[in-house]
Amino acid sequence: MVEITYTEEDKQKVLEKLDQKLWKIKDLAKVLRMNKKVVQKIVMDLIEEGKAAYWSSGSTTYYATPRYIEEYEKRRAEG
Amino acid sequence: MSETPLLDQIPDGPWPSFVKEIKKTAELQDKAVAEGKDIKMPGSARALLKQIEISYKDKKTHWKHGGIVSVVGYGGGVIGRYSDLEDIVPEVHHFHTIRVNMPSGWFYSTKALRQLMDVWEKWGSGITNFHGSTGDIILLGTKSEYLQPCFEDMMKLDPPFDIGGSGSDLRTPSACMGPALCEFACYDTLQICHDITMEFQNELHRPMWPYKFKFKFSGCPNDCVAAKARADCAVIGTWKGEIQIDQDAVKEYAEWMDIEEEVVKLCPTGAISYDAEKKEIKIDNSNCVRCMHCINKMPKALKPGKERGATVLIGAKAPFVEGAIIGWVAVPFIPADELFDTLCEIAEKIWEWWDDIGKFRERVGELIWRRGIGEFLNVIGQEADVRMIKHPRTNPFMFFKEEELVESEVVKKLKERGMKWRSFEYEGEEI
Ligand code: SF4
Ligand code: SF4
Repeated sequence: MVEITYTEEDKQKVLEKLDQKLWKIKDLAKVLRMNKKVVQKIVMDLIEEGKAAYWSSGSTTYYATPRYIEEYEKRRAEG
Repeated sequence: MSETPLLDQIPDGPWPSFVKEIKKTAELQDKAVAEGKDIKMPGSARALLKQIEISYKDKKTHWKHGGIVSVVGYGGGVIGRYSDLEDIVPEVHHFHTIRVNMPSGWFYSTKALRQLMDVWEKWGSGITNFHGSTGDIILLGTKSEYLQPCFEDMMKLDPPFDIGGSGSDLRTPSACMGPALCEFACYDTLQICHDITMEFQNELHRPMWPYKFKFKFSGCPNDCVAAKARADCAVIGTWKGEIQIDQDAVKEYAEWMDIEEEVVKLCPTGAISYDAEKKEIKIDNSNCVRCMHCINKMPKALKPGKERGATVLIGAKAPFVEGAIIGWVAVPFIPADELFDTLCEIAEKIWEWWDDIGKFRERVGELIWRRGIGEFLNVIGQEADVRMIKHPRTNPFMFFKEEELVESEVVKKLKERGMKWRSFEYEGEEI
């Protein structure tokens, strides 16, 4: 299997976007004009590092930063 | 006056009642608290009833779904649920569901179940659902802060339990009991379900696809787990060559069964002939469509052929409202000993394709509708085959009215022998 590599700059770009809204990997890759597999790898690594997190509706799953998710949850709780 | 007058009416109906069961759980929970056990969600089962009562009155749900809830390293397996009646029923403000990966074929020892229930009594509401429609054990109702310790306690059990799938991931694979209990099994459903679950742990715990994907394994065309109606990838046991016939056993059936009426005439392709004098049957195996009817009727006399394997059907889904699709044949026959490798290979090709061009919440079956079976077959490297029919049936479910049901000779015979039909009693004893 080919190892997927990326630059710190790529990672930073992904992180910035994740701090703006809930994303699906595919859309994130499209917006950043990056390879989906690379974005997937970056997001998984960010999750391992605690810099990104999952948000799930139960049937579908999204990604964002914990900071964004906390803010989003607060807004949801307020209705 | 009861706090739940509307719910109290439900157990009066003819069906098993969730109200009765939740009330029982509430009593058990109170008892555990009184005994000084460490119960983290006291009063939650009773509060759940209160919330449902309010929903019945208001005619709307008071649940909000979704959230960040998960355990470390996992993106699926927990469904976030919050009550918007926090002030009235604080005990169920958080009421998250945990899906627990069940063992292949749903075999448990009572020890394993007791241990799991002890963990759940401590960390959750004590309410369970055995099993969810995907097959997982469903643990209903806990708080965000209890998810991780509950999960860790489950992992420490002997045997340990892991969390199942949810969200846009591989859902927990499920299998019929197969060769453990059933002589019709054409491959080891339990082993392959376990192996596929272990092989694709990343796909199971880290959701990253357009939507969900399900594997289900049935050992023969009886398809006891309804794989062909519900699984994106249904693996159904089948055989090549001749159905094995034991003519002596056929003669025994002939003593009490009308083989001509009950077997021969009901073969969908007319592949069976019966010599009433010799009391022997003959099968034109080239015309058999593996419907299992004759084998089910005369299990002592007929068995699937010796060269066994599985057919892979692709694209089924069974949503609640509409849009059900029954699976199409993708690979007509894979020998049993090649099944695992071939399945892994096909699955990875499908996921690559689907993940690339699938739309948000588009199941694999819908993608095949949209792009055509030709493209799909290219993706998995299969030639078109006459068995890949487009339209076997539009709805995978068949319903009969009571008056349409005709009692068969087999049922009559069983009744004569003392079997109370549909009552699970035999000679007056519950079985
Ligand atoms: S699907 Fe076939 S092998 Fe599996 S339990 Fe049912 S009858 Fe037995
Ligand atoms: S399995 Fe079905 S199709 Fe085949 S011979 Fe028996 S009844 Fe006929």
